[in-house]
Amino acid sequence: MGSAIEYNRRDIFKRAAAITVLAAGGGSLLAACAGGTGSSSDSKSASPGGGSASNPFGVKASDPLDVVIFKGGYGDDYAKDFEAIYTKDYAGAKISHLGTTDIAGKLQPRFNAGSPPDVVDNSGASQLKLDVLAKNNQLTELTPLLDAPYLDDPTKKVRDVLLPGTLDAGTIDGKVWSLNYVYTVFGLWYSNKLFQEKGWTPPKTWDDFITLCGTIKAAGIAPFAHQGKYPYYANYTIMDLIAKQGGTELFKRLDACDPTAWDDPAVKAGISAFYEIMDKDYLLPGTNGMTHTESQTAWCQGKAAFIPSGSWLENEMIKITPADFDMAFLPVPALAGDKMGPTTLRAGAGEPFIVPKQAKNNAGGLEFLRIMLTKEASGKFAAAANSLTVLKDGVGADVVLKPGTKSSSAALTAAGTNTFYYTYPDVQTEFDTALQAATADLCAKRIGPDQWIAQAKAAASKVKPA
Amino acid sequence: MSTKVDKTSTIPAQGSPTAPVRRPLKEERFADRGGVINVFSHGFLAVWAIMIILPLVWVVLGSFKDNAEIGGSAWSWPSHWSFSAFGRAWSKGGIGGYFTNTLIVLAGSLTLTMLLGAMAAYVLARYEFRGNRIIFYMFVAGAMFPVYLALVPLFFMVKNLGSISPLLGLNSYLGLILVYVAYSLPFTVFFLHSFFRTLPTAVHEAAMMDGCSHARAFFQVMLPMAKSGLISVGIFNVLGQWNQYLLPVTLMQQQGGSDPDRSMLAQGLVNLASTSGYASDFPGLFAGMTIAMLPVLVVYLSFQKQVQSGLTSATLK
Amino acid sequence: MRHRKYPFIVGFLFLPVLLYTVLVIWPYIQTFGYSLTDWSGVSPSMNFVGFKNYTALLHDDIFMTALGHNLLLIVLLPVVTIVLALFFAFMLNVGGRGGTGGIQGVRGAGFYKVVFFFPQVLSVAILAVLFEAVYRSDGGGLLNGVLIKLGLENAQQPILWLSDPDLVFWCILAVLIWSGVGFYLVMFSAAMQSIPKDIYEAALLDGSGRGQTFFKITIPLLWDTIQTAWVYLAIAAMDAFALVSTMTPPAGIYGGGPNHRSEVLATYLMRNFLPFGKAGYACAMGVVIFFITLILSVVSLRVTRRERIEY
Repeated sequence: MGSAIEYNRRDIFKRAAAITVLAAGGGSLLAACAGGTGSSSDSKSASPGGGSASNPFGVKASDPLDVVIFKGGYGDDYAKDFEAIYTKDYAGAKISHLGTTDIAGKLQPRFNAGSPPDVVDNSGASQLKLDVLAKNNQLTELTPLLDAPYLDDPTKKVRDVLLPGTLDAGTIDGKVWSLNYVYTVFGLWYSNKLFQEKGWTPPKTWDDFITLCGTIKAAGIAPFAHQGKYPYYANYTIMDLIAKQGGTELFKRLDACDPTAWDDPAVKAGISAFYEIMDKDYLLPGTNGMTHTESQTAWCQGKAAFIPSGSWLENEMIKITPADFDMAFLPVPALAGDKMGPTTLRAGAGEPFIVPKQAKNNAGGLEFLRIMLTKEASGKFAAAANSLTVLKDGVGADVVLKPGTKSSSAALTAAGTNTFYYTYPDVQTEFDTALQAATADLCAKRIGPDQWIAQAKAAASKVKPA
Repeated sequence: MSTKVDKTSTIPAQGSPTAPVRRPLKEERFADRGGVINVFSHGFLAVWAIMIILPLVWVVLGSFKDNAEIGGSAWSWPSHWSFSAFGRAWSKGGIGGYFTNTLIVLAGSLTLTMLLGAMAAYVLARYEFRGNRIIFYMFVAGAMFPVYLALVPLFFMVKNLGSISPLLGLNSYLGLILVYVAYSLPFTVFFLHSFFRTLPTAVHEAAMMDGCSHARAFFQVMLPMAKSGLISVGIFNVLGQWNQYLLPVTLMQQQGGSDPDRSMLAQGLVNLASTSGYASDFPGLFAGMTIAMLPVLVVYLSFQKQVQSGLTSATLK
Repeated sequence: MRHRKYPFIVGFLFLPVLLYTVLVIWPYIQTFGYSLTDWSGVSPSMNFVGFKNYTALLHDDIFMTALGHNLLLIVLLPVVTIVLALFFAFMLNVGGRGGTGGIQGVRGAGFYKVVFFFPQVLSVAILAVLFEAVYRSDGGGLLNGVLIKLGLENAQQPILWLSDPDLVFWCILAVLIWSGVGFYLVMFSAAMQSIPKDIYEAALLDGSGRGQTFFKITIPLLWDTIQTAWVYLAIAAMDAFALVSTMTPPAGIYGGGPNHRSEVLATYLMRNFLPFGKAGYACAMGVVIFFITLILSVVSLRVTRRERIEY
């Protein structure tokens, strides 16, 4: 029945719109409703297979490139370096660069209006949700990029030079929608200097961790801080405890929002272990209400010993971290009976770069991503943002790493292939929101582990199979 | 009883010979009845005043502190008086530019709101014609609903205006000015409508007798007569438009790197809060707030008499 | 003369009516249209789905929670603000000791009037950022700092304010009241000053105290102004978007937490529109809010209608 009625409705709208058009003296309303499909994408976008070997997407140097970068923990200076490389290859391309912390605020209207930028670093607290964008056919599928020749070595394809698991986070139903550029390691962070001063040993097991927390508290320092206003940081610890306890099979079911996965005893074991922090009162006072900056600043100032985060932390806090802080990384400590090994950690690609489908210079956007993966660009990123990219062996010996990055890459080497990466935060927005709410309640001791599990399970049951 | 005796003498501001008699009596009356209440009410007023002033002073102090001091006790005093945070907020945070943007938009929108609002209100108030009531109620109804209800289609409308001329579209001064005007019209028309009704008709009639056109009578006779009403509604509009947050956040977004940043002060400050979150620059944020607050407070303090008397005539209708 | 009247009327009304229709009326009407579709908000395509969005709203617990909060705000915000503003206005205008010039306000009335109005000239975004710092959840926040200093709070267990589900709503309400009282104080002051002083003097001489004067004279004479204030405040209570979305967790997706305990209709609508990609649903919410506002306005105007007292 939909179509017939829809036709009528449109007809009504059309008439009503015609009146407004008369009144507004021009711009048609229907044109707005049909915004993107009409005006922008037809002529200039990448024609599949229309390029040559050296220019696989058929980039025209005369086309301007519109870049929007999330200006968060990594800043946006690195992207300016990339843009410089791009203009070297495509002289004359006018590049528009915008760094912002508010991706959704800036770009939602532009997607809506059918005139999005050509390449976007879609990250941060107000990122556009990948699942929503993909479902609404707003993104360029990246297979042509992945199958294109690699710039530094044309005998290889782009997909061959990526670290394993890079594409997982950007994949929905087998299609790749985003290239996540930064290889991020998740776990707990501490100041090596503080630990050495006090004679504390970084704990290997969760029992050690809890014991050490007691010692730390006795020394007058809060053992654990977290970014309470953004409960997903605490989830890095919780969900990792659960994954390591339950093993790969459970991890996959959890990530797929299978409600029955939450009945697994490993879930109970993991969340109960985490709850010991609250139970024994090891939290930094006020941390449940703090933003990431407030809590991380307190941690840098030595008010708390551990904080959960990803490896962007070092660069994010670089301005206020004391010079001799000696930031160090620790995988989430092992629980008794873990199915995954103690060095296993959550690692995967962050900073999703997307090329909107309606982009005027779609080819340029893809080319920009291809340039990002060169050794030159990857090194620039490591130097400017103190983090590693998804490029295999992406950093030459000439790049000096900061202590935190060095520490987390050592942990990554130790983990070897034993890594896992949750995708639900990127592709199951409503579920993730509900899980964060449950965790906030748990951290404030408003609910216990059992209720937390019940809420998580209820949220997972609401997710409809796609 | 004594009250009856001097009732006649208490009519105020008489300057009558009975005044000296009245004064001690009154003070006595208030003293015995109101002593406790006076302490109580004075205390209450003072507490409220402190509640207003303390956070503002605290923010100003915060712009001189460093990160550690801000993260420490709220009572810490800045250890050294450095203005560097102000420099960061002004240049890197762009507060200076946001100020200019806001002034440009407010100057345009206020002028247009007053002009168009007065024209519409005048015609609706003083002329009989078919459809008068309908148009009037259409205007008044708009004052009832929060702006966010129309936000989604409004965005497209402004974008469409942009296809007529880029001067009118998203992230344009004129586009935002027109939106501000449109959303300020309901209150302005409603208010000035009742104001024009109270003005005497005689002057207007006399002007028409002298051969004035309708338009001239409006601009040269009626507008000057309505001055106090215009000032009042103008103050309401300045406050209302200055307070806008949702409209500029939706319509005044920089569309790309080549697009100038035309953020209003309010959204610019929230941007600053967000960026200083990622750069861990709390003093910069406090300084930004200070810069955003102080000029407004200074302007208000210099014009507070006009503001208050403007509101006074607004409520007297 | 008569033949020149209509061109004049049309000439004067054309621009205002055009602007208003295009930018206000038409978008409101379109909201109705979109509410009948499954529009996602990120792409221009949409399908007609009839009243499905509306039936879904009936079963949406969070929408009901948000609606409840707005209704609570509509009652509490006007009542508390008006009571405080009236009390202050009374104190400042007629509450003082009689001096040489008859009835007058307490000492320093001018100072108070100026200071109380301060928050009104600060834009709401400044308030949001300011109060985020005031409500900060450790000793670095002004409020916790003061309470710790006064010994009313243990520094090891600071109050979380905006992250405490039992407090967050009241924190927001407090900011709304804090910022609003000054405006209505000045408004009521103006109205009080227009009441002839001899009415007060007569009442005092008749032996009525300040309390009686307040309830028997001030309130009835100010009823019109109070009614106006009520309408303004109710509109403000339907909104509250800027404060809730920037101050409360979860940050970045229009707040409303923790656990929807500070959710208001505006934040829930925006969250559905932007992050959740349910623009059609959001528009349906908008339409429902539209009618609720309409009904409330009509009802409140009916209920508060009284005989106007001429003086």
